[in-house]
Amino acid sequence: MSLIKTVDEISSNPRNRKAWLALACVIFAVIIVIPAVYVIFSIPSNWSGIQDVLSDSAMMSIIWGAIWNSFSLAFIVTIIDIIVGLPMAWMLVRKSYRFGKYLDTFIDMPLAFPTVALGFSVIVFWGCPEGITVPGTGLVVDPYLMVILLHIIFTYPYMVRCLSGILEQIDTNYETAAMTLGASKWTAVRTITLPLFRAGLVTGFILCFARSLSETGGTYIVLRMMGATTLDVTGFFTGPTLISTIKDIPETDSMPVLILISSLLIVFALLMLFVAKAVMTRLRIPWRKVWPQFGRRVSGRKVAGTKDVLAFLFALIFVLLPSFYIFVCLGTEGTYSDYGGFLGAVGASFLVAGAATVFDVIFGVPVAMYIARNRGTKRAELLDNLVNVPLIIPTTALGVSLGLFWGQLGLSSMGMLLVIFGHISFTYPLLVRNLVGAIEEVDPSYEEIARTLGAKPFQAFRKVLLPMVKSSLLAGAVLAFTRSLGETGATQAIADVSTVPIYIVDLINANDYFGAAVSSVMLIAICFVFMFGLRIVISRMGGKD
Amino acid sequence: MPKIKLEHVVMRFGTVTAARDINVTINSGEYVTILGPSGCGKTTLIKMISGILHPTEGRVLIDGADVTDVPIEDRDVGYVFQNIALFPHMDLKDNVGYGPRVRDMSREETDAVAEEYLSLVRMLDRSGYLPSELSGGEQQKVAIARALASGSKVIMLDEPLSALDARVRVELRYDIRRLVKKLGITVLHVTHDQEEAMSVSDRIILMRKGTIHETGTPLEIYRDPKSIFAAYFIGETNLIECTVVKRTKKGNTQVVLRDGSVTRVAGIRFEVGDPVVLSVRPEHVYTANDGIRAVVRDVVFMGTYWRVRTEADSQDLIDYNISADTDTPSKGDVVYLVFNKKAARLFARPIQGLQEEIVLE
Repeated sequence: MSLIKTVDEISSNPRNRKAWLALACVIFAVIIVIPAVYVIFSIPSNWSGIQDVLSDSAMMSIIWGAIWNSFSLAFIVTIIDIIVGLPMAWMLVRKSYRFGKYLDTFIDMPLAFPTVALGFSVIVFWGCPEGITVPGTGLVVDPYLMVILLHIIFTYPYMVRCLSGILEQIDTNYETAAMTLGASKWTAVRTITLPLFRAGLVTGFILCFARSLSETGGTYIVLRMMGATTLDVTGFFTGPTLISTIKDIPETDSMPVLILISSLLIVFALLMLFVAKAVMTRLRIPWRKVWPQFGRRVSGRKVAGTKDVLAFLFALIFVLLPSFYIFVCLGTEGTYSDYGGFLGAVGASFLVAGAATVFDVIFGVPVAMYIARNRGTKRAELLDNLVNVPLIIPTTALGVSLGLFWGQLGLSSMGMLLVIFGHISFTYPLLVRNLVGAIEEVDPSYEEIARTLGAKPFQAFRKVLLPMVKSSLLAGAVLAFTRSLGETGATQAIADVSTVPIYIVDLINANDYFGAAVSSVMLIAICFVFMFGLRIVISRMGGKD
Repeated sequence: MPKIKLEHVVMRFGTVTAARDINVTINSGEYVTILGPSGCGKTTLIKMISGILHPTEGRVLIDGADVTDVPIEDRDVGYVFQNIALFPHMDLKDNVGYGPRVRDMSREETDAVAEEYLSLVRMLDRSGYLPSELSGGEQQKVAIARALASGSKVIMLDEPLSALDARVRVELRYDIRRLVKKLGITVLHVTHDQEEAMSVSDRIILMRKGTIHETGTPLEIYRDPKSIFAAYFIGETNLIECTVVKRTKKGNTQVVLRDGSVTRVAGIRFEVGDPVVLSVRPEHVYTANDGIRAVVRDVVFMGTYWRVRTEADSQDLIDYNISADTDTPSKGDVVYLVFNKKAARLFARPIQGLQEEIVLE
């Protein structure tokens, strides 16, 4: 108690508050931003090695192929997400179907699934991999298509969330007004609601694109089990999986190749961010013309109903069924006994995720508050853009970069610490993003009133602002935690720490598919128990304060 | 010919009944305000007419045709929202031209209509502006132009002025009336501001708890309200509980207050011994040498006149007005009050009590 009181006292001095903010910004820069892009600055010192790679045309064609795959995949996946996510978001927000509430929860579930488990589940469902006795559909044999099917699963919930968030904010009066002016429902939506979506679409696009670009573990498992991870012309890679594959080869010096691929991924990803922002904000839906007859026909109840059914079927067949298919694998014959190894991995995972989340909360809150409360100033905008940087960079490239940066400072022996740093990098934006949105919703006059009533700034924050944004803060923390729990690429690229996803990848590499399935299911179970428990704690806490 | 007709209209939201058995007729070209406390079902009523809500029971007729099942876009009923709802991503011209545009008119026709209606509300010089670049009052003018430009002969105004500054509100309400009268539009205007309703409408519909409580011209409702609630809600009034003691030969009713003091009201609608409520507006209360004895409790300057608040010996609170440039009594002074007996009204005393009768929600 007295510690909090001391902080209260300290907080009333504006100089102390400034110092705290400055510290948070410095930590943000030194631990998150600079290490994330360090790899690009390491190119000159590794130039001779990189030149060798550049002259190796077989290697280069694999690299370019992988990068092309990554970006084209991410683009296709995101476009599909937009097309199928919009009707789903619409259904969740605007319609009151009785099953809507359950659907709402189900849509989020793949987010709690570690992507390695999803990868395993997807390949068993859509493909028919050797060494697995569970009957899959066997429909997909092309690695490109398989990866698309996988990536849709974990990007789709982001898109639906993002779009439904925006849709909730768009005043339905606009649409009603358009209809009183004689527009059919379809015309009203097309000319009024969709154009108002633009900002939301940019965010959704960037989120899904980045997530797809960055995913390593699930993609690696899919490709590995399809036998596509051979380093020659028959192989199929995405950027991150190529990095993992090369890293796994016990060759002497793979660093130049890693630096090259990582730098290319980072540069292209950042370029993509700017291009997407520029294009989407200028994009105008060009059809001024309306077709009243056509609009009327498609506004009917039948068309709307069909659309809802299709949106639901898509979610069911392409997202939910493949996610849960892994449970079927438990019914097969097989033995798994390495529970000690699994528990050790769980311990490592929780340590990393917990430490990263605590760090995110402590140093993310002041930055989020600054961004939210100083909108429009140059400094806040700069911070806002910088926060997005680790989000868009593929985590494997981030891991390579981080490893180099801290290795340069002689910290490479402290593997666990570096992995935590890596996880901080890509979870920090998730928490800050969530929090900025929530704080912006809260009228600053609440805190001002608290101050006029005699509250110290920290007291006002604690007793007034915090209770109002508590649910968003916790949601952000849970998001960061589960994201960290499921991360493969960054961990793999930084150091030899066996978190659960790494453990599962190792089992797959050893062709122990049953063990991988069991561990995946156990990891899913742990994630669910954890999230469910947290939800109970949150709802209990809701009563107080 | 009646333009709009509602027959036995009922609207239920789950267990809440927002409108119960509404029957009302609006004539062509009439400017009608729907007045009532918040939550009385005013907005529900106009939303049912415009098709935004579908009534649970009953029929809506426009121009004699049953439109109950006609969708919003085919009703040709304009609607102006309280929060204005101009499309934020379109300039004023595109906003006003939206109605013609979705009816598939050519670009030239659309622009011509938009310009015509923008000039009607004197906003033509701003046609390239975005809604966010205008003040609230200007935005609402454009919203009205937009509703009219779609060709509707009937428009619903849903508290169009309540989000605006006091002075803008007063100016704009006369502008709106002038405009719709010029174009011969039928208007249903929802408001909770009784002064607004009094000053612009041809007729007032007073709603309460989902029913139509009373209708009449502003003057009728003000001068001769048919209920205690109407007297209380429209204009200001003193309500005094008393009992009829005598019906005079001159056609007056003599009543006695709780303390035994006596006053007279024109008309003989009640029998001797009936419990009644006397309603008299502050402007119809005067001081005299003799009358109801009261003690001044407070004197308030209302901007253009003084309001004197007194407590009579019967413990009734009675307010009266005096002009701004006369001397005011002081607190504690004793005054004798008389009523303009022609302007005062008697109502049967409600069984559930006076407070229950005038409660707003």
